[in-house]
Amino acid sequence: MIPLAYLPPGTRARIVGLTGGYGQTRRLMEMGFTPGTQVEVLSSGPGPLLVKVRGVVVALGRGVASKIIVEPMR
Amino acid sequence: MKREIVVAVAGNPNVGKSTLFTILTGEIAHVANWPGTTVERKEGIRRHRGRVIRFVDLPGTYSISATSPEEIVAREYIVSGEPDLVLVLVDSTAPERTLNLAVQVLELTSRVVIALTKADAAHSQGIHIHVDKLEEKLRAPVVLVSALKGTGIRELLDTILDVAEGKRSGKSTLRINYSWLEPYISEVESLLRKQNVLPEYDRRWLAIKLLEGDRRLEDLLIQKGLKTVVEKTRSLRQAIERSTGRSISEHIITSRFNYVDSIARETVVRVPAPSAPMFSRIENLLIHPLYGPPLGLLILLAAFTAAFALNTGFPLNIVFSSIGLSEVAELVEEYSLSGLVEKGFSILGAKTAEILYAAGAPSWVVALIAEGVIPGVGSVLSFFPLIVIIYAALSVIEDSGIGPRIAVSMNRFFNYFGLSGKAIYPFMIGLGCNVPAVLASRASIEEEERKQIIVSVPFVPCQARLIVILAFVTAYFRKPVFQALSIISIYAVALLLALATSLATRRVYFRKKTPPELILEIPPIHRPSFKVVWWLTWDYSKHFLRKAGTLIVLLSIATWWLLSYGPGGIVEDVRASYGAILGKAISPLLLLYGVGGENAWKTAFALIQGLAAKEALIETIAVMQGGEVSTKEALLALGLTPLQAYSLLVFMVLYVPCFATIAAIYLETKSLKTTLVSMLYMIASAMIISLTIYYLGQLILLVAT
Ligand SMILES: Nc1nc2c(ncn2[C@@H]2O[C@H](COP(=O)(O)OP(=O)(O)O)[C@@H](O)[C@H]2O)c(=O)[nH]1
Repeated sequence: MIPLAYLPPGTRARIVGLTGGYGQTRRLMEMGFTPGTQVEVLSSGPGPLLVKVRGVVVALGRGVASKIIVEPMR
Repeated sequence: MKREIVVAVAGNPNVGKSTLFTILTGEIAHVANWPGTTVERKEGIRRHRGRVIRFVDLPGTYSISATSPEEIVAREYIVSGEPDLVLVLVDSTAPERTLNLAVQVLELTSRVVIALTKADAAHSQGIHIHVDKLEEKLRAPVVLVSALKGTGIRELLDTILDVAEGKRSGKSTLRINYSWLEPYISEVESLLRKQNVLPEYDRRWLAIKLLEGDRRLEDLLIQKGLKTVVEKTRSLRQAIERSTGRSISEHIITSRFNYVDSIARETVVRVPAPSAPMFSRIENLLIHPLYGPPLGLLILLAAFTAAFALNTGFPLNIVFSSIGLSEVAELVEEYSLSGLVEKGFSILGAKTAEILYAAGAPSWVVALIAEGVIPGVGSVLSFFPLIVIIYAALSVIEDSGIGPRIAVSMNRFFNYFGLSGKAIYPFMIGLGCNVPAVLASRASIEEEERKQIIVSVPFVPCQARLIVILAFVTAYFRKPVFQALSIISIYAVALLLALATSLATRRVYFRKKTPPELILEIPPIHRPSFKVVWWLTWDYSKHFLRKAGTLIVLLSIATWWLLSYGPGGIVEDVRASYGAILGKAISPLLLLYGVGGENAWKTAFALIQGLAAKEALIETIAVMQGGEVSTKEALLALGLTPLQAYSLLVFMVLYVPCFATIAAIYLETKSLKTTLVSMLYMIASAMIISLTIYYLGQLILLVAT
């Protein structure tokens, strides 16, 4: 299990849990980042990550992305 | 039968709500704020089958929990009893995500119609949704629509009427199975039933929300003297979370999404569709860590340069005059859109004066209209084309999906100043006009970031200040190198001050060490739709006309009065006017810059005028120097040294942009205190920075000679 922020582009993973504050966690979950959901990292550089979740692309700052814990999938 | 049917329209951001709203209602009838908030409320009317349907736009939200003012507004309006039904929009290109809101609304009320938006896009992406099956699952009518192609609109209106007239409607709210939480939900429900708590809400929904710990509802209950109920649900929640080790709200949201997934699995079919290779190449470039930021900036700069050139001739006029084609430069200026509008208004002013005189109107009425109102309206309208074109450019950038990608690539830069990449919008808009820039702060989800933008973006030099800069720089510096250096350095000082203000507000006032986190939905890149761009542009521009227009008209009347009247009634010479008295009162301040005598009060009065609108600054100086001289001669007649001119120019660019911006700050913050404090802050920082420049310059000159 690692934070989403550390996944290389092109990887898929399943969300295990969110560790941020109450408001942020809630907002992320309402946007579809719920435990069990599959995410795909589209791009990841020094800036924000682009991830695809439930058919929608979302940009996440590195701080947010390191609070989403995922299980990489083969 | 009620004469009018009220429909609340709900949907996630980007679901296509504004587009569908415009298609449904055509002209927007009414824009206001929701009571007690800065959240905008739009309404529109549509006639169908002899009935009047009033659509009320709810803010675009992902949920109807109480985590933001927008969500509270949406939810409380739905239960207020005012709307006959709720129209929930679901993006048919992303049903797995957007059905979530529909499900939440269906848990709260049974009077729901669901519109699946962007049917055309779903079709070309190979996404098929079984409408009948979806209706059966959700027990609510579902209509497939495309606002862009205009399909399904009639059917949607028919369905809305059917539901409103009770011909078609779900009997009860939607029940999702929350597994291990169910016994507790029943427990709270029976507690609520016994006490008859908030009967306007669906009881099961209320029970779930109270178990989640919804602050807003808890407060509401406490207000109604039901503190015991709140205490009971609170202790129940704590007990559950302690014994299961899990968060109830996480469980609820997850269960709801699992339910959405199960529905989507049965109703959505995807067949592979070809994707457009050109768009994905643009896309990759825009979000590239190295090429992305410069490319994004380039696109924005190109759009703005085109808009400025069309409107004011800048920077084409400078280019032409620097290569010796000054006649071409003048033509460019004269036939720029603002030039033409201004000319139109001066002709209109003269003609109106003639007609009024001929009709025997008293001379003060003629003067008020011809010298006060008409030029005032003209000065607003001469900026109007600029606003429209800049908004059109921004709307293209936004609607095509390029905008959010630029925000992503600029995120790191803005992080250094306590902002997120989204701040690129208000800052770019601010280079055109500060009023819409302040309004653009709404895009920020974090309240602190929004406030930071509101207090810092007024430092961004707008078009009106560009005019002042150009006038002073060309008058007081002869060498093009110095002219260019002064312009660039002033922009640099102003932009740095804006960014530093934002950072300081975050660190010192909000005491936050980390920049706001970026969470931004990125819609697919596509060719912008002309319709959408036009609507977006017109919607924003009307905003500007209404809010800034009324204010500037009133101000121009006040200015005219100050310059035309003195203690002894109507004055011939401005020197005897109230304006001059005002100028003299604050002229001692100019002694700090070494400016004294006649020029001190003139400059001071011009600065007061500049508070209202920056264009007024130059005009006032010209008028007070006798009118019949060129702007350049009038400015030179102030007899400033280049150092004085430069420092005063810095002051003029930094202090309060204009009253319209102040009004916008007030409208956005709804706080008189914030508005006044930010005004004083702008004046103070303008003084400190310009005086520092003046005295440092003096020192350098002293050492050098
Ligand atoms: N293909 C297609 N795109 C649409 C349709 N309606 C809206 N859009 C696009 O979806 C995006 C979001 O639309 P908008 O109305 O601004 O969404 P809002 O945030 O919900 O108000 C824009 O880029 C629109 O051009 C539609 O019917 N078909």
